[in-house]
Amino acid sequence: MEPAPTPKPPQNFQFRAGLLLGLTLVVAIGFVAYVLYARGFFEAKQPLTLVTDNAEGVSIGDDLSFAGFPVGRVRRIALGDDGRARIELDIALDGARWLRTTSIFTLERGLFGSPRLRVYSANLKDPPLPAGSVRQVLRGDTSEEIPKMVATLRSALENIEQLTASGGSLQASLANLRTLTDKLAERQGMLGAVLGSEDDARKVVEAIDRANALLASLGGVSRKLDGMLGKADNRVFGEGGVMDGAQQAVGQANAALGEVRDNLKRVEKILADAEAVSGNAKAATADLGALRAEVDASLRKVSGLIDEINRKWPFQRDSEIRLP
Amino acid sequence: MSTATAVVGWFRAWGHVGRFALAAFAAAFARATYTPTTRAAALQQVYFTAWQPLAGFTLFSAVMSLVVIQVTITAARDFGLAGYALELVFRVLVLELIPFVTALMVALRSGSAINTEVALMHASGELEAMREARVDPMQREFVPRLVAAALSVVSLTVLSCAIALVLAYLVMYGFSPWGFQEYTRTIANVYSLPILTGFFLKGTAFGVAVAAIPISAGLEATHNLKSAPIAVMGGMVRLMLALALIEIVSVAAKYA
Repeated sequence: MEPAPTPKPPQNFQFRAGLLLGLTLVVAIGFVAYVLYARGFFEAKQPLTLVTDNAEGVSIGDDLSFAGFPVGRVRRIALGDDGRARIELDIALDGARWLRTTSIFTLERGLFGSPRLRVYSANLKDPPLPAGSVRQVLRGDTSEEIPKMVATLRSALENIEQLTASGGSLQASLANLRTLTDKLAERQGMLGAVLGSEDDARKVVEAIDRANALLASLGGVSRKLDGMLGKADNRVFGEGGVMDGAQQAVGQANAALGEVRDNLKRVEKILADAEAVSGNAKAATADLGALRAEVDASLRKVSGLIDEINRKWPFQRDSEIRLP
Repeated sequence: MSTATAVVGWFRAWGHVGRFALAAFAAAFARATYTPTTRAAALQQVYFTAWQPLAGFTLFSAVMSLVVIQVTITAARDFGLAGYALELVFRVLVLELIPFVTALMVALRSGSAINTEVALMHASGELEAMREARVDPMQREFVPRLVAAALSVVSLTVLSCAIALVLAYLVMYGFSPWGFQEYTRTIANVYSLPILTGFFLKGTAFGVAVAAIPISAGLEATHNLKSAPIAVMGGMVRLMLALALIEIVSVAAKYA
């Protein structure tokens, strides 16, 4: 029955064909098993629901990654009764230990590629996230930020354009600055720029000149005053000065007073002797008593005078004058 | 031949293909078809269609895969999109390119041979002789070829895809075992259950088309031997068109 041109197969062609088909079957079954393993068919999972106001771009099979490693997979996306998107995930039990009650879930949308679901667990000592939890998602969207950024940028550019336009404030400021720098470069320089006109600037310069001259003459006066003060000092406190003379005069007065005292002491002694020898002459005695009282009074006066001088004239510390 | 005749002929030919395919399906699901003789015929067809070109074809497929993988991964890395390179390889090379190239190769090698063989059997009156001997050529000759061609295409596709998957891993990660997690994740992302089902259906459709269209075209030959080349030509054109259509429908179903 075989058609003539067909070449004859070898004897064991049935075995070879069977081998090929068997190999194909093994590879196919192996691959299907591998795909099932890859899709987490053989591992225990726990459900988690993330709620967001916009799940656009999230698709079934997307990863939930922790520190860049996938710990879960999107199983279903549905719109909840409250109008918010519910993303249902299967978390592999192996990866569930990274999820804590305090974990934060984010949905970040880049410029291209599908949005990325991420989870951040700050404290891995917090209690683990229970199965079937419902959590809010924080959303960040690059493409949503771009229009805002462009709007801001545009208004900024418009401001800059207004500033730099002809007749704009920047140009006016630049013109003023130019006038200022021109004035700075003129004869009166900075003063002219500050005061506005050259005349005023000149007046200020003249005033300063006059003030300088005044200061110079004041310097002369103060020098003369210095000399005068020096001379006065010399005169009062110098060798043979007023103070010296005064000191000498006091010394002499002291000596004179000392002599007076000695004389008075002698008079007192004579009086005492006279009192002793003429005990019967009562009247004479009474007169002598009055005389003695007078001498005492004058002695006290002199002593008081010496004390007074000593107090008022601190140079003399010699207090040899004593009351009898 | 006027345009109208050509159009009518074209539709009639596709009608023949459809009728033949239905009849072949019916026969393929009939218990009477599976006899030791038909099994031997099928295995012989598998041997000629898949085993004989196996070494050459897997080598060609491996080289083609390597080139595509290398280009894709290098370009993706240059653009900073290395994370998407594997997925691209899996989707483009493994799911689309390799099955289509395999089907084309089997069509060129075995489809044309089957077409010519059936045309010659028809022209030489062999099929009529079989019918007179109360042997159904559908059960005896056509269904074994059809099943064998489908199995061969699926087999070659599966083996070539497996080689491509291994090559993709090696090009992406080298001999390091640490890419396995990421590789597995990408596999999980790409090969969902609908995708795998679609892949199997497409491979089977390619296999059936590679045998059914040439056989039905061969049956269009007349008893004149000179009609055989025309029958083969028409059959091959229809086969290429059918393969392209299957591919387009498959891609459209996946991504549209």
